[in-house]
Amino acid sequence: MQPYVAILSLAGLVGAVAAAVHAGTFLLAPPGTVGAGPFLSGARPQEHAMSRYHVRWYAVTLVFLAFDMEMVFMFPWALVVASVGAKAVVEMFLFLALLLVGVLYAWREGVFRWA
Amino acid sequence: MAESPVWAVVALPLALAALAWAAAALDAVLGAASAGGTGSGPGPGLVRACGDPLHEAVRLLTQQRRRTLMADRPLTRIGVVVLPVAATLAAVVVPLGGRAVADLPVGVVWFNTMEVAVWGALWLTGWGADSAFPLAGGYRFLAQGMAYELPHMFVLITAALGAGSLDLGEIAAAQDGLWFAVWMPVAFAVYLVSALAMAFWGPLGHPLGGDLAGGAALELSGPDRLVFLAGRYLLLTVAAAVAVPLFLGGGAGPLLPAWAWTLVKTCAVLGALVWARRRFPAVRMERFMGIAWTVLIPATLLQMLVVGVVVLD
Amino acid sequence: MGLRERLVRFGTARPRPFVVASAGGTRARLIAEAEVRRRGWREAGSPAETGLLVVCGDPGAALAEAIETVWRDAPGPRARVRLPAEASAAEARRVLDAAVAELADVAAQHADAQARITAGPWNPAAPDDGGDTSAMDHDMDHGTGHDRGHGGHEHHMMMRPGGLAMAEQEDDRDGLRLDVLHVPFGPVLRAWPAGLRIDTALQGDVVQLAEVTAVDTTGDAPYWDGAGVRRRVAGRLDSAGRLLYVAGWDGAASRAALLRDGVLDGASGDVLGPRFAVFARRVGRSRTLRWMTGGIGRIAPEAAERHGLAARHGGDVAVRLDGWLSEIAAGLPRLDEPASDRLELGGESGAAGPLAVLPGLLEGEGLAAARLIVASLDPDLAGLGRADG
Repeated sequence: MQPYVAILSLAGLVGAVAAAVHAGTFLLAPPGTVGAGPFLSGARPQEHAMSRYHVRWYAVTLVFLAFDMEMVFMFPWALVVASVGAKAVVEMFLFLALLLVGVLYAWREGVFRWA
Repeated sequence: MAESPVWAVVALPLALAALAWAAAALDAVLGAASAGGTGSGPGPGLVRACGDPLHEAVRLLTQQRRRTLMADRPLTRIGVVVLPVAATLAAVVVPLGGRAVADLPVGVVWFNTMEVAVWGALWLTGWGADSAFPLAGGYRFLAQGMAYELPHMFVLITAALGAGSLDLGEIAAAQDGLWFAVWMPVAFAVYLVSALAMAFWGPLGHPLGGDLAGGAALELSGPDRLVFLAGRYLLLTVAAAVAVPLFLGGGAGPLLPAWAWTLVKTCAVLGALVWARRRFPAVRMERFMGIAWTVLIPATLLQMLVVGVVVLD
Repeated sequence: MGLRERLVRFGTARPRPFVVASAGGTRARLIAEAEVRRRGWREAGSPAETGLLVVCGDPGAALAEAIETVWRDAPGPRARVRLPAEASAAEARRVLDAAVAELADVAAQHADAQARITAGPWNPAAPDDGGDTSAMDHDMDHGTGHDRGHGGHEHHMMMRPGGLAMAEQEDDRDGLRLDVLHVPFGPVLRAWPAGLRIDTALQGDVVQLAEVTAVDTTGDAPYWDGAGVRRRVAGRLDSAGRLLYVAGWDGAASRAALLRDGVLDGASGDVLGPRFAVFARRVGRSRTLRWMTGGIGRIAPEAAERHGLAARHGGDVAVRLDGWLSEIAAGLPRLDEPASDRLELGGESGAAGPLAVLPGLLEGEGLAAARLIVASLDPDLAGLGRADG
């Protein structure tokens, strides 16, 4: 079986099992879906919870993005280190060192502490 | 690219489900042990606790669904279903007795991709309910992602670097004689931490924390909850299973066939991950983030540098 | 049908009870928790995931309304049982047996679900009658509910999807304009002081404003202040267990509860001592726990004095937990002595002090830290009504 055929059929299989669980509940559980309010320790909400959430760690996401882009290079890099030699290691770790300077700066600015 | 037999497509989810089941049963037994090992009914409390996952699954199967006011049902449902799907698909690259279901040459990248899908899944589950506690739980997981993902990727790449391949089968084969866990101990340790984090389990299970009355999964009941929790145990199982080709020599071992060794090692890692839940309190990202960036990332990079230098020779 | 009944019976054989207690219901809660553990059941984290609600003590009007709200939202099959404040262990057994039978009664649960379908989903614009509340309730709510629905719909139709307002913005401490959610904590919340409600205004997960209310405190005698060191040691173990649960350490929390029930069951200090030592060593030496609980909820000694807090309330969350552990260790060898407030295991100095400092401690903290702070003070609201007259 081709890899992607196998992957697609597996995804279908798991999806079918999930659907079967819902079908099973339809047959076995008491009828209907409970139309509930959000759980608020026994109170009713004053407003919708869906809102612009105050993400206090937003600065971390920026540093993260810088590193995450770099990952795209690292996967192929891992394959060629042995053949390219020391040059590949030096180049990659120089690059990483630059990024780490950024991390150091971010750390000094207190980006990783927000409580 | 070797082609796998059709039966493997059925066997893989069955094996995963059995292991996930075992993980849930072990958790129930450990829970019963810390509660004094009591319990009425047939058999001693600990033996009886083995049946907990089955009772719980049937309980949820026979329970009504609930829908909160103005909940975004498609988003919630996508979030819930993506968990088991991503976990199962992540497992296709795990070599079971020498062959993976889908022997991708970029298996490590595939595993990584599936694992990141969980970020979306958990956030959607938390956001979709239109409820304050799940919302906070969903965001907790995004913060957790910022903390664990980079060390996680670095250790994946470290193992790939050691073998010069992104194929999990080849990585396992490259550990002929010496497991990566032995000469890359930092990478292995960080992998175990990130395994807990990706399955939001135990000390890194704060997104589903009891302090938020269940966090991202709070509003789920019945079948939604069943699929969600099954997905979480599957994730934990896959995280344990991938540790075997990455760090524990894959199916290599004396006497037993390769598949049996893969199974034994997976069970050992899975058992350790499940046990960690009883051993540690929850870790909050506002305190862990700094350690992740100033200790884990430099440590994993140093580990990678060591491996890179060794590979050069 | 046979299959369905058998499956339902199997699933409900190990239900997940959610235990909620009134301020004076501590004793009943302990009995319920012990019985739940004896059966090998696990408690639910929230009433949303379970249909089994165990109400302990005698809820007043406000708590009863909160319980009615979560009951209305609970998924079927559902059963609600009550354990009065002076209930016995045998009564707890009987009540939980009855609950299991009720959960497994397919026909009755089916009828209940049909009635809920007829009643329709919860709607913020309509009066919140649970579908099975009495007609009298309905009449009383009618006027206000009607008004609310009217005003809301006429003026803010576009702003109120589903009849509920969208979050509004307010300035935060740094002068940013951010969405605010109003989120109450308690009274129906696991590992939360019974009868306590804290209304918070949240921006993200930061508590901007916290307002403390005591729910239905009737001035019952605080259970933990009862005669004897035994009771007080058990009370500290109960508080420690709840704090550990909030800290996300289920294993240690259930060990604390087990020790607590051992103390209450009359076990001797010689038996419990070694078991407690193992527990205390694990908890006391946990670097992770120290890391997570250190530095939050700090109360300076002079602030403690000003608010009439006992000296042991000083310090941060980690210090208060350590204080409990050493109090328990000191109390275990003399469990059967009468308690004296001059000893380390002083009775509660009343809940008024902790309630007074809580808003100041919570404002500016994250949700997780806020819950740890509340758990580390664990005010016993039972005596409050009495103290206030």
